[in-house]
Amino acid sequence: MKKVIIHPERCVGCLQCMLACAVAHSASRNLVGALQEEPRPRPRIHVGVTPSGRGFPNRCRHCDPAPCMAACLPGAIFRDPTTATVLIDPDRCIACASCAMACPFGVLRFHPTFQAPPGKEVAVKCDNCDQRQAQGLPPACVEACLTRALTFEEPDQALKRQTDRISRLVLEAVPYAEDLPASLSLLRALKQATAEMNRR
Amino acid sequence: MPAYLVIGNGIAGINALEAIRSLDPRSPLTLIAEEDFPPYSRPLISLVLEGALPPERLPIRPPDFYRRLGVRALVGQRVVELDPKAARVRTDRGEQVAYDRLLIASGAHPRTVEAPGHQLAGIFCLRTQAQVQAMRAHLPGVKRAVVLGGGLVGFKAAYALLRQGIAVTMLIRSPHPLSQQVDPEAGALIRRELERHGLEVRVGVEVSAFLGSKAVEAVELSDGERLACQMVVVGKGVRPAVDFLPPEAVRTDSGILVDQHLQTSLEGVYAAGDVAQARDLVRGQPWVNAIWPVAAEQGMIAGANLAGRPVVYRGSLGRNVIRIFTLDLMTAGLVNPPRQDDYQVLTHRDPRRGTYRRLVLHRQRLVGMVLLGRVEQGGVLLALIQRGLPLEVDPQRLLEPTFNFASLLP
Repeated sequence: MKKVIIHPERCVGCLQCMLACAVAHSASRNLVGALQEEPRPRPRIHVGVTPSGRGFPNRCRHCDPAPCMAACLPGAIFRDPTTATVLIDPDRCIACASCAMACPFGVLRFHPTFQAPPGKEVAVKCDNCDQRQAQGLPPACVEACLTRALTFEEPDQALKRQTDRISRLVLEAVPYAEDLPASLSLLRALKQATAEMNRR
Repeated sequence: MPAYLVIGNGIAGINALEAIRSLDPRSPLTLIAEEDFPPYSRPLISLVLEGALPPERLPIRPPDFYRRLGVRALVGQRVVELDPKAARVRTDRGEQVAYDRLLIASGAHPRTVEAPGHQLAGIFCLRTQAQVQAMRAHLPGVKRAVVLGGGLVGFKAAYALLRQGIAVTMLIRSPHPLSQQVDPEAGALIRRELERHGLEVRVGVEVSAFLGSKAVEAVELSDGERLACQMVVVGKGVRPAVDFLPPEAVRTDSGILVDQHLQTSLEGVYAAGDVAQARDLVRGQPWVNAIWPVAAEQGMIAGANLAGRPVVYRGSLGRNVIRIFTLDLMTAGLVNPPRQDDYQVLTHRDPRRGTYRRLVLHRQRLVGMVLLGRVEQGGVLLALIQRGLPLEVDPQRLLEPTFNFASLLP
């Protein structure tokens, strides 16, 4: 199943993901309408600034096991069995902030939303845009990110790509030892030649 | 097939039952518990007292929870005797249950005040949903209540009553409530917030007698003064529920001492929750942190260990998050360190934002915090305390109002 993957090195701190997230979680689902809504829709992804001045998009990791879920006093936090997304039932939530105390990433916020009972402050966090996903759309933050600091893909593929990238970096950085046995050099040459032929 | 027995259906017992069943679907599993109400969220009872939550919202498991889990539930019974040699317990109804592996999650009992008149109606402890129901029934006609103690329970009771417009007088030893949870500066801010909403705090006086014919009508204080009141809440802390343990049978201190697998000094007997005394993460010594999240995590881990999957419990950490009218409080670990020289204390007050922060460090590691206002990022700090790793950032950054997860990155 596809997941939102964060590539902080690509984040330029433009905050477009936050804007798109707030709009996606508004009643009207468009910017003009969202700006006029009460309660004002708010983002569930939060771009922070690192000490060296870089942006870092911080959103719920949907941990498993999820500490917020274990800490929730009224049992309002649950995992959707089909999508593995950790969700909060605004009707059960009492905004006690036990989840905020349990979350090591600081992704919880407390405010009214159009989905919560009117006037009630509730715990709010990323829901993986489950409604958009049900319509076949990617999460709003991903769609808004122009630098591909946020991508929506199979975790295995993303992990493999990153592993390959790191291997490449290491191989380029560490020169081959000159005292390699001839058999190993031969194997490497063979693999290189095979890769070369495959490319053509 | 080992026979499991769990004593207690608080969150430690409930989580343990689920952990055992997830690893061992078939072995006989018995529960003995005093409360016959469905498994519920104990911290929510003060919200029921406040009238903010209907009692039917207390349960956090379905009514057929035990049956679904294949648990033989002996509820409404109290264990009166444990015979470790025979590996058997006896209940007040004469039921005998043998076990191969036992979890003691019997919780704690509120400390009572033995002053004359303590048996009068209208004097309550705040521990179980049944007590809260009784308090609710007594509420009509209550104009003034006296709360004994300013710890977590005393505070919650006072807050719940204030929220309903009942005048509350709180008798405490320290100059402010929650003295175990916060430092004096935060305590003063909390006290002021409560006083703004009608709390009266009396320091350094005790109750010497409860007065009244059937129900309490007044309390007599140690300085001779009389306070008229129609309700008294006793919040003098709790003591581990270990009455059924034969003396010397198991190693105890202020609770039942447990090792890193939450096993007691008796092979195959484990303890979790308010009754257990495990290593405290920041104190580095055994400590009873009688709070719900600790009971929850210990229950899960004890259950796994009972079922034969060894899981290490790293240690407990005192922590609380409380909303006091418009003031939010989050606190964790050591907030009033013993010797100042070993410890570094950083504070930051932002009157404009209405926030106060205090961090306690010990050799570059965060060991305690008090946050007043803007508590959303508190979990990030709490995780730093729990991890116990040396800080790689300037600790001053952690005090900044804009602190967030990104502040910890390069």
